[in-house]
Amino acid sequence: MVARLCLRLGWAFFVVWATVSLTFLVHHALPSDPARMVAGPQARPADVVRIREELGLDKSIYVQYARFLGRLAHRAPHADASPGENHASCARILWAVHLDLGKSYQQRRPVVTILRERLPRTLWLALAAASVQLVLGVTAGVLAAAHKKTLLDHLAVSTSLLGTSAPTFVIGLFLQWLFAFRLGLLPLDGWGDSSGGHVASVVLPAFTLGLFGAAYYTRIVRDEMIGQLSEDYIRTARAKGLSGRAVTLRHALRNAYMPIVTVLGVDVGTLVGGAIVTESIFRWPGIGSLSVTAMLDRDGPVLMGCVMVTSVAVVVSSLVVDFAYALLDPRVRGARA
Amino acid sequence: MRSIREKTSREKTTRCAVRLGRQVHLVLLGFNAGCSPELPTPLPSGHSEAALPRRGGALTLASFGDMRTLDPANVADGIAPQVLQAMFAGLVDYDTQGQIQPELAKRYSVSSDGTHYRFVLREGVRFHDGEELTADDVKRSVERALHPTSPNPSSASYASIKGYAAFIARKAEHLDGVSVEGRYVVTFDVDRPDSSFLPLLAMQPLRPVCKSAGTRYADTWHPCGAGPFKLLPGGWDHGRQIKLVRHPGYFRPGLPYLDSFTYLFNVNTTSQRFKFATGEQDVLRDFLAPELLKFQADPRWRPYGEYEIEKQVAGLAMNTELAPFDNVEIRRAVATALDRDQLQQVRASNLRPAYLPVPPGVEGYDASLKGQHFDLNEALDHMKRAGYPFDPATRTGGWPHIIPYLTYTQGLDEYLVQIVMQQLARIGIRLEVRIVNYPTFLALRGRRKQTVAGPGFWQQDYPEPGSFLEPLFHSKSINDEESNNASFYANSRVDELIDRARHELNPERRKKTYGEAQEIICDEAPWAFTHYYRFFVQWQPYVRDYRPHPTWTLDAARVWLDHAAGPLATRALFSGDALAKLLGTRIRGRATW
Repeated sequence: MVARLCLRLGWAFFVVWATVSLTFLVHHALPSDPARMVAGPQARPADVVRIREELGLDKSIYVQYARFLGRLAHRAPHADASPGENHASCARILWAVHLDLGKSYQQRRPVVTILRERLPRTLWLALAAASVQLVLGVTAGVLAAAHKKTLLDHLAVSTSLLGTSAPTFVIGLFLQWLFAFRLGLLPLDGWGDSSGGHVASVVLPAFTLGLFGAAYYTRIVRDEMIGQLSEDYIRTARAKGLSGRAVTLRHALRNAYMPIVTVLGVDVGTLVGGAIVTESIFRWPGIGSLSVTAMLDRDGPVLMGCVMVTSVAVVVSSLVVDFAYALLDPRVRGARA
Repeated sequence: MRSIREKTSREKTTRCAVRLGRQVHLVLLGFNAGCSPELPTPLPSGHSEAALPRRGGALTLASFGDMRTLDPANVADGIAPQVLQAMFAGLVDYDTQGQIQPELAKRYSVSSDGTHYRFVLREGVRFHDGEELTADDVKRSVERALHPTSPNPSSASYASIKGYAAFIARKAEHLDGVSVEGRYVVTFDVDRPDSSFLPLLAMQPLRPVCKSAGTRYADTWHPCGAGPFKLLPGGWDHGRQIKLVRHPGYFRPGLPYLDSFTYLFNVNTTSQRFKFATGEQDVLRDFLAPELLKFQADPRWRPYGEYEIEKQVAGLAMNTELAPFDNVEIRRAVATALDRDQLQQVRASNLRPAYLPVPPGVEGYDASLKGQHFDLNEALDHMKRAGYPFDPATRTGGWPHIIPYLTYTQGLDEYLVQIVMQQLARIGIRLEVRIVNYPTFLALRGRRKQTVAGPGFWQQDYPEPGSFLEPLFHSKSINDEESNNASFYANSRVDELIDRARHELNPERRKKTYGEAQEIICDEAPWAFTHYYRFFVQWQPYVRDYRPHPTWTLDAARVWLDHAAGPLATRALFSGDALAKLLGTRIRGRATW
């Protein structure tokens, strides 16, 4: 088990490194000038050159990459020593290790500070959206499977088709118009200024994302449940006198978990990477909108930070899913043992 | 038994589905009603037009863009100047008529040769931190902004200050051209008479900053100036909003009227429209195109809306070093073949046909000049003179090759160029549009011998014709990379006229000289000018004395709020405040009076 964990962690580390390095390479290969984007379209060439030198963009890609990797994780100064300018853009990740993603070209703030602001908001939205899609999707899928070929089933299937077909911006704008503008029940957009505000503000974006995901989950759960409900062990359970609800929830649903957990793991990882359209509609200050802006502005350090967060999120969620299999399914546990 | 239960269940499900269907139908009807042409009712003011300004209240504005930095030494986006204007006062500033007036200086004088400027400061002016503003602060702020370690993107514009070259090259510790002559007197010396010096000084980069800013730019500084509003710690939530509060020590007695003003960032146009309807946002500047026309047509809203002056010019920039635009007759043909009235229809409410390089909102604009014009027959004549006659009847002749046209995504030009293509096809010029993203476009546009044609656009850096002519059409603005002169146009006579006008201190003679340069540029057509862009601003009736400022867009110091009795605006039932009450947490409400 420990060896397997080490192997997976090593592989995860490699995936993150490869993703980040590839992004670095692609970003530098683009025929555009980050210094021009910082200075603005009307800046005089002399100012653009000066800014390019100040940001270190006049150096070769090898030097820039070496600098990036060199400062990415480094030893923190002694606790008694003053951190100084060299560590102004660092965050302490372990007691003696600093993480440094540099400073944003555009905002001129440490990238770790920007990510520290954005990540909790992104996680909050990701978890809320995942909860919505899980609860709605599983409920609708189970009901549809349990009432196969009834109106309820058709309704669930049709609604899920509608949900997967409707673009996120249509759902988002509709929910915003109805619940925020017309009914005035929820905030129109933003993140809120208090803990209550954060709760209220997440409802509409979470449902916008969640409804789309729920529709997808409904179809997965329904198909999986229909397959499980036709298995012999279900017939045996019914023959033993178990109620329909107990059979469905305790036996069939438990065996239908695996694909749900797989998809949920991937979804959470992706949601941490950012829900760009939803964040844009609801002015949600998350990683998605940050990475798009960074890409458009050629803000390399921020882009690298966003890619790193996203790749770590996907890798970690894959790891969690992998180990969740073992917890949920005794057969997997047995096979690994 | 089972079949009866199934039947009952099926009936229940059917009834539920029907009820749900009715609900959905009602909701869709409501949605349709919300998208109807009806505009929101203006939220009334509390007093008559003659009422005197009253203090208090919080103004809220919004933009779909974001503000990146908040330091006069690093103004690099379109929103920052509006916020900086509220926080930092300058020695001189533009008034609401677009004229330069003393601001922190109580008076200033210019030597007869136009190279020495002497400013006498107001006494007792306080920064936001309570410290007094003195001549030392002015010099320190100027040196901080122009120091080579500062990321100032407009530093080179101040190159006429004496000693600038040595200072930017780190050969001098101080800027020789800025001197302190006592606690309240500061002087500037420029190399040669420079008509753009005062306009540039009225811009924001050199405005005095608090002593806490130090002598060199630092990213960690908390913005602090001597303007009417100040930023409290935590007042700027990056990417979301900034909230400024009244500076009680502001040197103009009684101002500002507002307790605070908030600028929301990254708000899409639909959300802005919703917020404006409920009074959650007081001023609307980013419109959905059809809605703008509706607001302008509605008599209830008409008194509370106004166009900002045009400060941007756009056109088709032709590379004069590459074929076919190295042929002046072809450029003339293009300039004459464009029907600007037709192009304007792409966004009639925001565009105005352009025939000159300097927009009407800029001091020195002269409508009497001989600009470019539309005449299809004349355009065909130019093609004939160029050696590429085109016969519209048989559609034969013209330039034999397809001309690549480089433009960028998500801009107006994506749409305009489709009409331009059709218009130029009428004279035998065929374009092939290549669309890239904006950063790539900027990089390729400024590279020598790279881009044959593409959109050109420029916004005033300071309200003078030189702000357009010098970077766009002077040969010294040509570079192998990052060239501002994207048409790589060089004409020694134009260079001489632009230089002479810049050093001419007599406004009439300067205007005439700039006019002569503009006529040559229009004739030789390195650009075919297409349109001037103008923004429209709509405000709620309770927002009083709001007028778009000719230079800064927003002058928050003189705006005041006059809410009628009753609820300020619709608030969400489960808004942050309501839930905060429920959860017993701290409430951060909006101040009203």
